[in-house]
Amino acid sequence: MTKGAATMTVRLRTLSTLAAVLATTAIAGSALAADTVKLGYQLPLTGDTAQYGQDFRKAAEIALAEFNAAGKPFKVEIVFEDSRSDAKEGTNIARKFVDDKAIVGVLGDFTSGVSMAAAQVYKEAGLPQLSQTASHPDYAKISKYQFRNIATQAQEGPYNAKWMAAKGFKNIAVIAEQTDWGQSVVGGFSDAVKANGGAVAFSEFFNRGLKDYRSLISKIERAKPDAIYTGFFYEDGAQFLRQLQQLGVKTPVYSTSAAYSPKLIELAGDAAEGVHLTSNFLPTDPAPHIQHFVDEWKARSGGAVPGQFPAQAYDAVRIMLAAVEKASPNPTREKVRDALAQTKDFPGVTGKTTFNADREAEKELVKVEVKGGAFVPVAD
Amino acid sequence: MIDPYYLQQLAIGLSLGMTYALMAIGFTLIFGVLNVVNFAHGEIYTLGAFAGLVLISAVAPPIVAVIFGALAVGALAGFSLERLAFKPFRRFTDEASLKSRAMRESTLLSSLAVSIVVREALEILFGSEMRSLPFDYLINTPVRIGPVILVTGDFIIFGVAAAMLIGLQYLLTRTRIGLAIRAVSNNPLGAKYVGIDTDRTIITTFVVGSMMGAAAGILMGLYYGAIFPAMGFVPGIKAFVAMVMGGLSSIPGAVVCALILGVAESMATTFVSSGWSDMVAYAFLILTLIFFPNGLFGARRERV
Amino acid sequence: MNAFEGTLSKESGGRRWLVPALLALLVFGALPALLAGFDRGYFYQIANLALIFVLLSASMHLVTGVAGLLHLGHAAFYGVGAYTAALLTSKLGLGFTVTLPLSGVVAALLAFLVALPTMRLVSIYFAVATLAIGQMLYLVMLNWVDFTKGPNGIIVTKGFELFGVALSGRLASYYTVAVVVVLCVVAIGRLSHSYYGNALRSIREDDQCADAMGVRTVRLKMEVFTLSAFFAGVAGALWAHMTGYISPGDFKFSESILILAMVVVGGLGSLPGAIIGALLLILLPEGLRALGDFRNVMVGLVMFLSILLLPKGLLGEVSALRLVRRQLGGAWRSTGKGEGIGWR
Repeated sequence: MTKGAATMTVRLRTLSTLAAVLATTAIAGSALAADTVKLGYQLPLTGDTAQYGQDFRKAAEIALAEFNAAGKPFKVEIVFEDSRSDAKEGTNIARKFVDDKAIVGVLGDFTSGVSMAAAQVYKEAGLPQLSQTASHPDYAKISKYQFRNIATQAQEGPYNAKWMAAKGFKNIAVIAEQTDWGQSVVGGFSDAVKANGGAVAFSEFFNRGLKDYRSLISKIERAKPDAIYTGFFYEDGAQFLRQLQQLGVKTPVYSTSAAYSPKLIELAGDAAEGVHLTSNFLPTDPAPHIQHFVDEWKARSGGAVPGQFPAQAYDAVRIMLAAVEKASPNPTREKVRDALAQTKDFPGVTGKTTFNADREAEKELVKVEVKGGAFVPVAD
Repeated sequence: MIDPYYLQQLAIGLSLGMTYALMAIGFTLIFGVLNVVNFAHGEIYTLGAFAGLVLISAVAPPIVAVIFGALAVGALAGFSLERLAFKPFRRFTDEASLKSRAMRESTLLSSLAVSIVVREALEILFGSEMRSLPFDYLINTPVRIGPVILVTGDFIIFGVAAAMLIGLQYLLTRTRIGLAIRAVSNNPLGAKYVGIDTDRTIITTFVVGSMMGAAAGILMGLYYGAIFPAMGFVPGIKAFVAMVMGGLSSIPGAVVCALILGVAESMATTFVSSGWSDMVAYAFLILTLIFFPNGLFGARRERV
Repeated sequence: MNAFEGTLSKESGGRRWLVPALLALLVFGALPALLAGFDRGYFYQIANLALIFVLLSASMHLVTGVAGLLHLGHAAFYGVGAYTAALLTSKLGLGFTVTLPLSGVVAALLAFLVALPTMRLVSIYFAVATLAIGQMLYLVMLNWVDFTKGPNGIIVTKGFELFGVALSGRLASYYTVAVVVVLCVVAIGRLSHSYYGNALRSIREDDQCADAMGVRTVRLKMEVFTLSAFFAGVAGALWAHMTGYISPGDFKFSESILILAMVVVGGLGSLPGAIIGALLLILLPEGLRALGDFRNVMVGLVMFLSILLLPKGLLGEVSALRLVRRQLGGAWRSTGKGEGIGWR
């Protein structure tokens, strides 16, 4: 036994020396390219939510190409890793990014669940994480390293509640997908409606990817609401709107910026007419930086117009790049975090972005209505 | 007088049930013969839908031609699926292999593996987002009958499902190939000994079952107006439930149970939150298994 | 069988400790040394994840491989364990030392309750019932917002600890996971290579015959289902404390299928096979990251080819049994000293 233990220790030592040598070589190798700063981007490139991840990658590539072409003293490289929207893979990637000492900031993930799981790793390692979509109410509270570039429902809910109250809707039905985001949609909106003196006639969650909303719609109609407020993404949204039209329901529908995608109109057709929603990105805005992004996007995706999420991703990447630039020379993770926290009035395509003390983005929202098969900004 | 709300929910439930039934018919046919769950049936359904999408965007043929195109793709897919994932495991005929649980269940995994490859390949080719179909192809124009609103697709799906059911019953009970299918399903070895070409029979079953799966896929695509690589999963589970409730090998039983399932789900939405209404299908399943272990319409079985 | 026994009894005493000693050296010596040498959180993470799935796959091996009951809802019990750990931590402030066994117990209790009405079912009916049970548990985790916090998931604030002593370092976490997993896998190994395991195998091969021979099949099925849920629950607690955040999405149907695939790719009925299968299906997708968008197609292809070319699994039951019985001891080994055979 003792003999066995002794040989084991010897073997252990040899192995660990060998391993240490290997590890040092690896670090030395990466230290050579000092004028390149690396960022990590974890996102679903395969699986059921791949369409979003693929869009984010496209948006990030546009932002990155612009940055590297601008003649800055250093170049930035983004490492994209596929998380499949799976918490297992998400945490694996987070560890991988943390290990790479050259990575000073991380973007992503797409779903809140994966972002939250990965955030536990970034919190421990002190690596700043900026998500373009994570909407979990507790996400930014995890640690001082979590940021997000999305209008939270604590902001969007009251905004929409006020809008609907101004339109004279008192009795409102609320439905949302059964996700953490859907929960925050209903929570943020319902409280504000009640505060405005309105009533929530009906409130329910449905499982994401539900195909047939007709039973739910009939149930909503039985509650006879003045309007329906909805928390869904464009896929579920298109199905819902179409089936609403099939059943001949004329109740006005309001939604959040998450449904703001040209795909909504493409899938729902004229059933999308008259839907009201908020947004903070308007591809039709003539401002040069927005038109530049829209043109670049069209060039890369066969003429399609970008939606809300790619715009958020584009801005998130640019905010991160600006923070890296501010933190240079020799940006460290801590310096990038501080630079991110100081982001103020960043002029992005989704409006000006400021991170408040809770590392939440404060966004300017715009009211939009679907008219004639296009999103048209409206005053009220 | 009955509250029109419940009539409407009933109509929705029946139409939902019809969509499950459409999928369950092909699924039950294949299961009845092989006694193995074919995990790839959902992908056949998806392939049928994508075949329709490609046809429509390429040549924009009339709708009947689209369905025939999907049927052809389904037949081809069923044939290749059988060759790839099922036939190789019939090469062992020694007693040890026949008795080995691992051998018996390897087709389960091979069909699962094929389904993963097909779905991932579709995602790479078409992207995983929902794709829309041209609106004039869609079969969801509203039709009002008294207090109830349905869409044209409901009637088309009803017609197709009925045609499938009657056609299959005819095939199974009145033709030689149907006789062979029933023989193989009853006792594959016995069927072989009396001179039935079991390989050909199994392939035929797969081709017919997959054609029905593919037709269901394109019809559902036209009905809901959206096609995406993961679309086969949920209907697959529902069809599976309907099949078990119906007694595993009874196709009319599966259809009736699919209808019951659809109505139960839409009615349940009235009383519980929509998020919980999926529970209904599973609760039904467990209750059926416990109290009607032969299935609601299955033939008597020795044991379950 | 006689020849088989003959070769076994000739094994010398020293030789049969060789493989377990080597394995222990690998898991507790060489692997952590390598990990410490590289000192990369990523490798630790993968090692821990792989170990957790080894446990899940081994626990499913007990039900599906040994007792031959196709289980399509295993991930739900894994989830029940994880939720038990997370809720005990967040609501009562309990630590890992307490939550680990309790997670297993709660998962096992729940499994026992659902097993009461369903365990009389056989073959595909059993599989369908477990599918339904798994999906129902998943829906409860997702929709019972007041209790489980639903889709919001739960942040698990406490990491690994032993009676209040934090085991927070990377190496300490690895050892915690490794010790728990190895203990459980050894227990599963002893169970499946004992007379008890043989009774389970008799159910798998022909339950009517086993019944006629006096094996209490229904009771055995309930026991094995409950035991396997216990181990899955333990794996869930490990996952909850390791990641620090759980949500229902971690325990959906596809996870059950993933675990089933591990058992089948490895070889149904073979414990080493289940372990190899788990390692393969966790390490392969990570190893194939370089392939980018194509990696999951490759995972499917590898699964398909391994099933096609080795339909009995990477390490089939017969060869695995021979290996395990020779190297790790088991029911058939006679010591020649006149002691009883079987449990020891």
